[in-house]
Amino acid sequence: MTPIVDRRRPAGAPLAEVRVKRAAYAVGAALAAILLLALSGAAFGHSPKELLALLIGGSVGSPFALQGTLLKSVPLLLTGLSVVLAFRAGVWNIGGEGQFIVGALAALVASRYGAVASLLAAMLAGAAWASLASLMRLWRNAPEVLTTILLNFTAIHLLGWCVNGPLREKAAMYPQTDLAAATLPRYGGLALAVLAAIGAWWLLYRTREGLRLRATGFNPDAATWAGVNVRAQLVRAMAVSGAVAGLAGGIELLAVTHRLFERFAAGYGYSGIAVALLAQLHPLATLASAFFFGALVSGAGELQRTANISAAVATFGQAAVILALIGFEHVRRRT
Amino acid sequence: MFDAALDVIPLAIVAATPLLLAVQGELVVQRSGIINLGIEGMMLAAAMTSVLAAQATKSVAIGFLGGIAGAAVIALLFGLFAIALKADQIVTGTAINLLALGATGFVYRELQQGAIFVQSVPRLQRDFVLPLAWIAIPIVLALFLWNTSTGLRLRACGENPEVLGARVRSHRALALAIEAVLAGIAGAYLALALSSGFAENMTAGRGFIALSIVIFGRWKLKGALLGTAIFGLAAALQYALQASARGVPFHLLLAVPYVVTLLILCGVAGRVRAPESLGK
Repeated sequence: MTPIVDRRRPAGAPLAEVRVKRAAYAVGAALAAILLLALSGAAFGHSPKELLALLIGGSVGSPFALQGTLLKSVPLLLTGLSVVLAFRAGVWNIGGEGQFIVGALAALVASRYGAVASLLAAMLAGAAWASLASLMRLWRNAPEVLTTILLNFTAIHLLGWCVNGPLREKAAMYPQTDLAAATLPRYGGLALAVLAAIGAWWLLYRTREGLRLRATGFNPDAATWAGVNVRAQLVRAMAVSGAVAGLAGGIELLAVTHRLFERFAAGYGYSGIAVALLAQLHPLATLASAFFFGALVSGAGELQRTANISAAVATFGQAAVILALIGFEHVRRRT
Repeated sequence: MFDAALDVIPLAIVAATPLLLAVQGELVVQRSGIINLGIEGMMLAAAMTSVLAAQATKSVAIGFLGGIAGAAVIALLFGLFAIALKADQIVTGTAINLLALGATGFVYRELQQGAIFVQSVPRLQRDFVLPLAWIAIPIVLALFLWNTSTGLRLRACGENPEVLGARVRSHRALALAIEAVLAGIAGAYLALALSSGFAENMTAGRGFIALSIVIFGRWKLKGALLGTAIFGLAAALQYALQASARGVPFHLLLAVPYVVTLLILCGVAGRVRAPESLGK
């Protein structure tokens, strides 16, 4: 099995050159995906030119659009980082969506103790939810690919129950919660997310824990021989990954939506996989990748509002990016 | 309470039919060494194309063929990346699911005028799929996998591909084609028999539940039937609870299938042996 993101450097290749190549592939994949989007639109009778104009105009075309893109980038950056941390350790955490939701639920409940406590609760809840999967893996050998996905569905219905039942707003008009007791400034979340990216880089490349984590993902057998407790490492990586996804949910609640409703998660967890892969699993590259997908999501929103084209094209675009990356990766290995 | 559960058993068997088809399809590909997470997307695409085909021709049978065609397109994509380009199967599967979710969501809105996906969709009248799924297909698959040389080679691809040399890809492609047919029927059954039309993301994780049941059944057909039956009974209990509607909130009941699947995965997964080369 060859990893989709092969981070091994060819012998003798200078780091700078490798980095430029990786960036080129990523940009190429992003462009290919946008092109595919425009072509798919054309197949249903939309003018590709108009489609692209709306996509770009609705994401970076005006200060207002740019603000929307930045706000959408925040949860994507964090769920992307969550996936980076898990995948670099070789753990398949596909559970970002569920961890995002339980993070937000915990943040809401803890919000009466202030924003800091609220975000801490979000991280704890995300870590705990993710740890359910790693415990099932350790005790019963249940593959985390499946358990994390199943926990997503469980969390979605848990949220559905909360907003219809125990946490439903006092006025009981809509299936939603009351406003959270704490708030973050609108761009406070952005600052925190950027800090998280730098923190993830620090963790991965400047600490012993990060070295062990990367070694585990790179070659678990070799890591075991080098004295790494691989099982404990997987558990820790999963918990950290879940904490970051939980934080994403907490920030989205406190800075953007201020209350919870059934479709709160909006696929941010799954989108994180595309974000991480486009960033080739590097925490700092995730900044650029999250911005790109943030732009795609808000551009797709504009498409739905003005041209009545489903915002689901953003999901389609995410898939296209991943598949294009696989294609490029294949070409790279052949040459 | 117990009587109520007995009453809903027939319903549970019907409701578990698409799941059983998916489980059997996934079992075949996993025996050939492929984990196809994309089966969720295959069923979703099939559900949509089956409704489109049925609406275009007003024929349920052609609707089922349309479902198979839709699943085959997705399978072709998955095979291109995961078999031909040897990309990571889990990443490819995840991408395929996003692709199917995005594409069906897009097409749904494009074609919504005239409510083609919900209004007067032809429905399956005489259910030929149910006996097919629970009796005929398991027998045929068992004969194929364990009593033919092609079946033996297919299983060898999942255990020890070196033995076969260059023919691994063609056997895995064959397995994927079988899965596409079964997932196509499953998706079509979902849209044309269990519901009356297509709704966005209507598969609701059945593909992932199917993967879990394959593991529960230890990659054997008997286990697959047993696992699906157990899951179906748990679902029946849930329906009974919903119907009696005493105390347990509806939204928590919706989570029951996923929790049951998690328990199923934990209950047995500890002692199983997967095909040697699964995922490689």
